[in-house]
Amino acid sequence: MKGKLKAESLNSNNGLPFILGITDQETVKLDFDKTPFKTVKYWAMRTMKWFKLKGFIILKSSENSYHVVFDKRVSWNENMHIVAWVCLLSQHKALTKWFLMQCIKEGSTLRVSAKKEKPEPRIVFRYGSQDGMIAEFLAYRKIVKSIIAKLQRQKELCSLAIKT
Amino acid sequence: MVKKIAVYGSYEAKVRVKQRYWKMRKDGIKQRYWRKTKRTKTIEQSGRYEFYGKGRELYKATIKAHQYMPRGYVHVSAKQFLENPEKYGLEGEWIEREIES
Repeated sequence: MKGKLKAESLNSNNGLPFILGITDQETVKLDFDKTPFKTVKYWAMRTMKWFKLKGFIILKSSENSYHVVFDKRVSWNENMHIVAWVCLLSQHKALTKWFLMQCIKEGSTLRVSAKKEKPEPRIVFRYGSQDGMIAEFLAYRKIVKSIIAKLQRQKELCSLAIKT
Repeated sequence: MVKKIAVYGSYEAKVRVKQRYWKMRKDGIKQRYWRKTKRTKTIEQSGRYEFYGKGRELYKATIKAHQYMPRGYVHVSAKQFLENPEKYGLEGEWIEREIES
């Protein structure tokens, strides 16, 4: 096999062969890859103030990679309007690529599980209101995380049974 | 709109090989047809499930997704997927490869 490994044999952080994420249309999300925290915070703050998005959280997905989730509920059109505005002004290539993919899917996705050597995204910064879409996002994230934990437990039990 | 769980990645699956053949029609035109042979080939591609539904169903669907690889982009309720997984996926194995969200 060239350039690939069987997912099961590869010891990724959560032991899952696939990636789990959350998709929806009404939450404004941004994916900043290879961007320092200061820049991410600047764009999150500027976007929140310009579009009156109430509040935001920043999740660190890996070294110099961050996700931003905003608190205000918006329509899909408005959501893409906001992300396109950030892409145009920030001239961020990775974000623009992510934005195009979300347009194709008609739903924006952010990763919840670990991916290869990258760990699960964790919250590193909170600002403003948190009881709207952020609360919903975090509640759903909790469900996904519990599913991941159950799968991991099941896998551990299976490996123990094979050993014995 | 409801929130959905995205299950995505690259996978390997075995699919039936299609064979091309020609048939002379009554009006004299040669028509091309395809038929599925018994031979199989291993394909490697990426796919994605978008599951929505209740927590327990989502969990069961995620377990099922270990076995059944999505046929491209599959947007389905977890309940429907559990009732008929063959309709939405093919049997195969997930592989680890760089994949965008």
